[in-house]
Amino acid sequence: MVFLAEGGIGALGINLPSLIAQLINFTFLLIVLGWAFKRFLFPLLDERRKRIQEGLEASEEAKKHLAQTETETAAELDKARQEGQGLIGQAQQMSSRIQEEARQSARTETETLLERARSEIQMERDAAIADLRREFADLTITAAERVIRRSLDRTAHRELIEEVLAEAPQGDDGKDGHT
Amino acid sequence: MRLSRGRLIAGGLIVLTVLGFVFLRGPTPAISIKAETIQTFGPVDITNTMLTSWIVVIIMVTIVYLGTRRRDLVPRGFQNMFEAALEAFYNLVVSVAGEKNGRRFFPVVATLFFFILVSNLLSLFPMFSVIGLVREEEHGFVMERTDVGPLPVSWVGLSSLSSLSGDSIDEDDPDAEEQLREANEDGKIVGELIPLFRGPNTDLNTPLALAIVSAIAVESWGIASLGLGGYGRKFFNFGGMFRGLFRLNFRQFFQGGIDAFVGILELISEIVRLISFTFRLFGNMFAGEVVILMFTFLTPLVVTVLFYGLELFVGIIQAFIFAILTLVFGMMAVAHGEAQAAEGGHEEGPGAMASEAQN
Repeated sequence: MVFLAEGGIGALGINLPSLIAQLINFTFLLIVLGWAFKRFLFPLLDERRKRIQEGLEASEEAKKHLAQTETETAAELDKARQEGQGLIGQAQQMSSRIQEEARQSARTETETLLERARSEIQMERDAAIADLRREFADLTITAAERVIRRSLDRTAHRELIEEVLAEAPQGDDGKDGHT
Repeated sequence: MRLSRGRLIAGGLIVLTVLGFVFLRGPTPAISIKAETIQTFGPVDITNTMLTSWIVVIIMVTIVYLGTRRRDLVPRGFQNMFEAALEAFYNLVVSVAGEKNGRRFFPVVATLFFFILVSNLLSLFPMFSVIGLVREEEHGFVMERTDVGPLPVSWVGLSSLSSLSGDSIDEDDPDAEEQLREANEDGKIVGELIPLFRGPNTDLNTPLALAIVSAIAVESWGIASLGLGGYGRKFFNFGGMFRGLFRLNFRQFFQGGIDAFVGILELISEIVRLISFTFRLFGNMFAGEVVILMFTFLTPLVVTVLFYGLELFVGIIQAFIFAILTLVFGMMAVAHGEAQAAEGGHEEGPGAMASEAQN
């Protein structure tokens, strides 16, 4: 080869054996390094990248999950609040109803008591009127005896008076007797 | 008068420079473009650059072994540093070439980058170019000699107040024989120093080998993307020209001729690329080595450090340029293929498309 001859470019030191030796030298290094890169470096880089990617994705997922949980919690709290308010409303209604029932019951009882009292009063009144009527008859007889100064058949007179009183209207008896 | 710290440092540096200039200068260094042969086995010369290349390969394989020995998902210590460097470069490659192509290109591009980088940085170690074997000749350095145990050790005579450079006998000097005889009478030896280590990229064979690997990789990526025929048409694109000739369509013939010419230019550019790759790296690294050698000869102390800093920068930049250019050319080869594939039924490339549009 002319360019490798001593006088040509060979004067610069280029010679075939040295060139081939350097080619073999570098090719050997290239093969070793290429093998090491493909066997060790690339898988390691890929694995590391994958892990980092997974970590980021997991972090993103956790963030989303957290946001979702927060939303759900807020919704649950809202729902619980609404339910609580519903329960409070129900309790208030129930309380009102119970109060109303108690009031109603008290009113009923009061009326019953009043009614009973009224009827007792009526009975007492009737008894008093009967007593009064009896006393009045006695007084009337006594008064009549004193006026006519004569003894009368007390039993017959009483029957007569009773008969008159019985014929007289009930409510106006007293008034009529006084007049 | 009170001296500031800056002035003291500047004064100290000047004193060191002068002392180095007077007492530490060696003889004029012998600069050789060719790599020096250390040992010969049949047709193969084991050169110092070859030896250094092997050391670089051993260092890199060791680094890869140590870096990939533990494969923890959360890296620590050396694995962390190793993976950080590789991943930074991998991300760069992927950002340029995309995930799919980046992974395909990365082994070649990264190996190129780290091989050149380690070679360039390693060649800045002080043992490079100055420690080596002595070959006795009638001219060259005049060296002192002593025995350290069973090993004979020689060293180059340094400068002194009487002589501002180390002793050497020039081949063209008429008194060469006389000087040789005097040196031998003084128990000194005369000869060339063959450095044991030399930066691999300062030998044209290494950058050329790297450029060839780079070119093979780029072409194989292109062929893998476009197929052998399709990729070949990138360089030998005569279809449009012949079609125009058969159809007697001058415009198509002319357009096809331009496409064919562009194809030939592409082919030339591929070859030129190989040469430019080789000589860019070789030129930069060899020039750097020469600069450091010359400044070590002129002012061994202080000033040389600046050039070491410069060479550190150049070494990194050159490694980066070589690797990134390979990546970019690979991208161009693949992009050409992908563009062709995207064009679907159009067989002939952009030129033919233009001519079809005109028809």
